[in-house]
Amino acid sequence: MNLIEMNSICKRYHNIGFETQVLEDVTLHIKEGDYVSIIGPSGAGKSTLMAIMGCLAQPTSGEYILDGEEVGKLNDRKLSRARNEKIGFVFQAFHLLPGVTALENVILPLVYAKRSPGNAKDKARELLARVGLEHRLHHTPGQLSGGEQQRVTIARSLINDPRIILADEPTGNLDSKNGIETMKTFDNLVKEGKTIVLITHDKEVAQHAGRIISILDGQIASDRRVNHAENTEVRST
Amino acid sequence: MRIFKNLGQALRGLRLNRGNTLLMTLGVMIGIASLTVIVAIGDGIKIKVLNRIANMGFGPESFSVIAGGGRMFFTRSKNTTSMTLEDAEDLLALPTVRLVVPRQRKRMKIINKKEFTSTRVYGVTPDWQLARGWEMTDGDFLSDSDLGRRKKVVVLGATPARKLFKGKESIGKMVRLENNFYVVIGLLEEKGMTESGYDPDDRALIPLTTSMSRLTHQTYLHSIKVVTLDASQVPETMETVRQVLRRNHNLSVLADDDFRFITPEGIMQWVTESEQALNRMLILISTVSLLVGGIVIMNILLVSIRERVREIGIRRCFGARRSDITFQFLFESILVSLLGGIMGVGLGLIISFGLKRFDVLPTHITVEPFILSFVFCSLIGLIFGIHPARKAAMLSPEEAIRSQ
Repeated sequence: MNLIEMNSICKRYHNIGFETQVLEDVTLHIKEGDYVSIIGPSGAGKSTLMAIMGCLAQPTSGEYILDGEEVGKLNDRKLSRARNEKIGFVFQAFHLLPGVTALENVILPLVYAKRSPGNAKDKARELLARVGLEHRLHHTPGQLSGGEQQRVTIARSLINDPRIILADEPTGNLDSKNGIETMKTFDNLVKEGKTIVLITHDKEVAQHAGRIISILDGQIASDRRVNHAENTEVRST
Repeated sequence: MRIFKNLGQALRGLRLNRGNTLLMTLGVMIGIASLTVIVAIGDGIKIKVLNRIANMGFGPESFSVIAGGGRMFFTRSKNTTSMTLEDAEDLLALPTVRLVVPRQRKRMKIINKKEFTSTRVYGVTPDWQLARGWEMTDGDFLSDSDLGRRKKVVVLGATPARKLFKGKESIGKMVRLENNFYVVIGLLEEKGMTESGYDPDDRALIPLTTSMSRLTHQTYLHSIKVVTLDASQVPETMETVRQVLRRNHNLSVLADDDFRFITPEGIMQWVTESEQALNRMLILISTVSLLVGGIVIMNILLVSIRERVREIGIRRCFGARRSDITFQFLFESILVSLLGGIMGVGLGLIISFGLKRFDVLPTHITVEPFILSFVFCSLIGLIFGIHPARKAAMLSPEEAIRSQ
């Protein structure tokens, strides 16, 4: 069954007087457990595609079915719940709440969860330990390095145990060492059965995925499977 | 409960944005402080006015008849010559009248050797003391024989006594009014300046007969004070007094009264009118200051939300509903309003006490403005918080997260 099913998605932005077509008739199906890279030059529409996939924006036309539910028909309450429970976001710019400790940042999705577990803090601690930040629980984003911040965002994306991880240029702001670490984490998550959609313009990063979709001028240019025997690790450059 | 979580996030938001929180709190604080201070001053002035009226020597069972028509205070009556001692005697004969004090009044210079001062000189009868209930500190009050023999004696209020004798013995000494010397026979107890600056001690009393023959050279009276047996008899007595005086003065049916009344009720009416005017002014000023505080909150909230659009975007990405965002910011503004309200009330109390303590302005502290400002604070938070909160919540998460 397709976890993500996009049919003829179009997205246009209206600016004063003229219109920009960002996505044009994108049809894309992703199965549960897939590891997908979306690749393309900047301005190709990758981020917009991810925003629609993550229910952060609505397509101008077309149909998006997430886990069997048509997103266009959901109200704010259900959309919020979908974002909360089904999707974990990892952003290039981290998007951590400033001035809030790593631990509290990781807990954030649980604040808005329908049923937040009583052991939220333990769970967050566990996840931070998993990304190697057990010694940084009470540091605020400003006190953490870029790599550490990215690991906090990964821990945050996992706290609600979502089925899909949407990562927008997760290595974009990192040095190669931290980039490799991050990609290893994703590789492990796939093994645990998470569906990962990775947006990047870095071909080597994209090679981690089992399927690479390339986007050009708002349209899918190619969609291919990767032979993993050749690409086990990203070379540091 | 989801709403408590929103409250928790609001508290965290306030803590993280200390600068904005401080500014908003300051805005409300000043609004509320000025409100409470203004109300306290208003109440203080009201009490002062009431005090002054109490010091005019009106019991509830008395009223004054002033020669010359017109209304109450403020209007200078044309000097009329119609009110006489016979009128006073006729009024005393009325069954409901206990005391009558006919009076002449003149402001003039009073001299003791080289010391002199200007004071209000009243020609009165011995009943004056009974009608006013004014105690003596030294000597005696005017007697019937002083009146009958037109003696040149004077009872001094505390103010001229101090100015003329500088604390030295004054009983038995001579003071000069115009070309006549008067013996000081008594000193009135000091009442002290009223808060409004009226000095009841600034007076000197001489026998009415002496005043008529030596001071004013007039046989008519300036006013008659009437004390009835009981306060309930005031209206009916006034009506009888009116009839007696109109008959005595030969006024035709069409003529206006050539005298006017000052009654406790009339004074109360005057006080009520001034009180209402004062209250209207207070309400206006308070509303303006509260409105200013509210607009300050709204503006800072709007700016604060603009700064925090990204935060809102992040929250939305991880499952915050529109209502969560609205509630969070609404709670923030309400909390700020309440905090500012509490601090404003504190500051208002300090200022009010300070003004009173250091005699700058009379203030009177009551509970109402504090309750009022508390209610207003929450309302301000609610009304002025809703708009920015809604605005923040309506943004799409994608747009919000992209903004800088």
